Amino acid sequence: MIFSSVVEWLADPANWTGTGGLLRRIAEHLRYTVVAVLGAAAFAVPLGLAVGHTGRGATVVVGAANAMRALPTLGVITLLSLQLGILEVGPVLLGLGILAVPPILAGAYAGVQSVDPAVVDAAAGVGMTSWQRLWRVEVPIAMPLLLGGLRGAVLQVVATATVAAYVGLGGLGRPLLDGLRVTDYPQVAGAAVVVAGLALLLDLGLAAVQRSLVPRGLRLASRTVGGAA
Amino acid sequence: MIDDLIDYLGNPRNRETVRELLLVHARLSLVPLVLGLLAALPVGWAAHRFRVARALVLGASNVLYTVPSLALFVILPPVLGTKILDELNVVVALALYTAALLVRPVADALDALPAHVLAAATAVGYRPLRRFLTVELPLAVPVLAAGVRVASVSNISLVSVGALIGVGGLGQLFTEGFQSAYNPPIVVGIVFTLALALVVDLLLVAARRLLTPWLPRRGRGQRVRPLPAGVDVRGATGSAGGAA
Amino acid sequence: MIEFRAVTKRFPDGTVAVDQLSLTAASGKITVLVGPSGCGKTTSLRMINRMVEPSGGTIVIDDLDVRSADPPRLRRGIGYVIQQAGLFPHRSVLDNVATVPLLIGWGRRRARARAAELLELVGLPAAMGARYPGQLSGGQQQRVGVARALAADPPVLLMDEPFSAVDPVVREGLQDELLRLQSELGKTVVFVTHDIDEAIKLGDAVAVLREGGRLAQFAPPAELLAEPADEFVAEFVGRDRGYRRLSFVDSGGLALHPLPTVTIGQPAPRQQHWAVAVDGSSRPRGWLAPGVTVDGPLAEGALRPGGSLYTKGGSLRGALDAALSSPSGYGVAVDAGGALAGGVLADEVLALLRSHRGAS
Repeated sequence: MIFSSVVEWLADPANWTGTGGLLRRIAEHLRYTVVAVLGAAAFAVPLGLAVGHTGRGATVVVGAANAMRALPTLGVITLLSLQLGILEVGPVLLGLGILAVPPILAGAYAGVQSVDPAVVDAAAGVGMTSWQRLWRVEVPIAMPLLLGGLRGAVLQVVATATVAAYVGLGGLGRPLLDGLRVTDYPQVAGAAVVVAGLALLLDLGLAAVQRSLVPRGLRLASRTVGGAA
Repeated sequence: MIDDLIDYLGNPRNRETVRELLLVHARLSLVPLVLGLLAALPVGWAAHRFRVARALVLGASNVLYTVPSLALFVILPPVLGTKILDELNVVVALALYTAALLVRPVADALDALPAHVLAAATAVGYRPLRRFLTVELPLAVPVLAAGVRVASVSNISLVSVGALIGVGGLGQLFTEGFQSAYNPPIVVGIVFTLALALVVDLLLVAARRLLTPWLPRRGRGQRVRPLPAGVDVRGATGSAGGAA
Repeated sequence: MIEFRAVTKRFPDGTVAVDQLSLTAASGKITVLVGPSGCGKTTSLRMINRMVEPSGGTIVIDDLDVRSADPPRLRRGIGYVIQQAGLFPHRSVLDNVATVPLLIGWGRRRARARAAELLELVGLPAAMGARYPGQLSGGQQQRVGVARALAADPPVLLMDEPFSAVDPVVREGLQDELLRLQSELGKTVVFVTHDIDEAIKLGDAVAVLREGGRLAQFAPPAELLAEPADEFVAEFVGRDRGYRRLSFVDSGGLALHPLPTVTIGQPAPRQQHWAVAVDGSSRPRGWLAPGVTVDGPLAEGALRPGGSLYTKGGSLRGALDAALSSPSGYGVAVDAGGALAGGVLADEVLALLRSHRGAS
């Protein structure tokens, strides 16, 4: 059966070690993902927080973010690669970064907006400055949605980082595309399973991180029946 | 660059290709959208209705959604008995994906329905199925619409990524252009993908407005909302920020 | 004290929320702003701590124009309590209360110790400090809100409909707590409410505002009830105005009649008239109707429930209500310790009132 040949392929250590081995590819794949997401976060988190906190520019920024979701990553990467040179990692990182920005921006913005207006009013009323309000009150309460956005971004980027292989770079797209080219189905399916497994593991890990970073008071509040302030 | 573009579009064969690819792309992204929604309704309803089922269903759909679609395209064929590039394969994969994405919004939307409205409907004499179709579903539309909008953009994007492994649609313009080191197809592909996404989104918003005439139009103090950051599974606050 | 000098607030769309408001909230007193929705009471309150900026006029707190101070700094010296409490859900109750002390630079330990003191002051158990706002009831959250406002011991306390979102029983408790706190702390309080009864109960001075943000009357509650400035105020103060005014009339001179008593737990002879049943500490527990035979020791089940109790030295309203609600016609009067002091009659309350009017 086909499944057994895939399992065989995955069980073969030769496929994991060596320059073209899965371990190397996983490392490359993760590298692209982490760099792209961190880069996107560095841009999108402050922007989302700023727009959510001040309420200004929301229509423009949020509209632009929604539009960005529709940008086809493969198209962006191929176009940039042709301009800037194949085998350059820049186009891939930029393309993946563009993919990561909308969910992170949406998470940061929605997170700040989700803070109960009475709480924001009280924070101003006790004499916090705008900055203090943002960091001491709004951001902690925004954490669930903010982290949710980051998690969603990581997931999307991991799934799409396979395109790096198309423009000549590494990552798990390499065994996938190479296998397609020589119709080695076990290799293609094996690579696909590894990508899926990687995504699942990352998601579980991030879920744990999300749970630990959400302030205890919020977790308890959402659990208490009718306990919202 | 502009000259190249004009040359490219000037050629009627190219225009024909673009049009065909656009149609394929639309088909491959929208058919699964509808199928996925139809599949998500009963599953989401079950999650809403039966406490036990809820954790199971949401967990399973979370896992399914986490699996990258490319992997799904590749892993499904032996199961379905198709080849990777068969349209059926792509449609089923994306339908599964869409369903997994929409199960949670369906469950959340049904959970959020005010109990007293449902009680009134039952007291009036509606039978369960009729109540579901004529009262619960319409009221669930706003939250559902947000989910469907995310799913539509997602599907359009996934079909184009699928070109990596040879899936049809506008993504082929990217691979073609890249292989010939020629920009215009890529640019045209990007523009038309954006246009398709925009048109579908507008149609969905219009559909939502049509289905919910009782809601105020935006601009009456309604805050600007971004599309939800992907599946609400990732947000601890669930559907609280989800309606768009 | 807080002075409003011809304060006006006009919003960009043209609505005038507050129109030339001038009044003085006396130091150490509770000044209540009351009126229908749209009368600008909340807007006026929020101009004191500059949550809203006036379009015209000035607000002066103890000779300091509020506009001369940097808003966050100004607010750290003013307590602010709002209807939904606005507690920070991500912080423990103790840390919520410690907010302002921490903001002004106290050490964490000192701030938390102070917070613990305040929890006690507002009547909450110390153990509550470790909980989170989401785990508290509405009434408890409001108390925490008050504690938070008082933490840095500000001279001024602003309260915006703080008790409107809780149920009436809890609300009454919170009102009594506020009065008790005020007797201990003597803050300058500005309190906003839409409930005229709350205004009359709490206020040393009450400002009635009308729609459009204009002051209709500013007077102590007794005067508001006795002499409403115009029809609007009279309507707003509502019916039972005369009856409610009795709360402010002293009952000195009201006769206390001795009442026949029977004791719970002891045999009770058949009574010719209504008798008050008291417990071991002389506290009234109900009435024994005339003509009722009791077998064995008297139990509470044989009694008729009594009406409200009038505390000796209280207002005429308490005396009248006790008399009217009693099954026997005699209102039960108790002393400060709750022990039976005698009976009062409705006729005599009205006679006393007549003599007051004759005297003025």
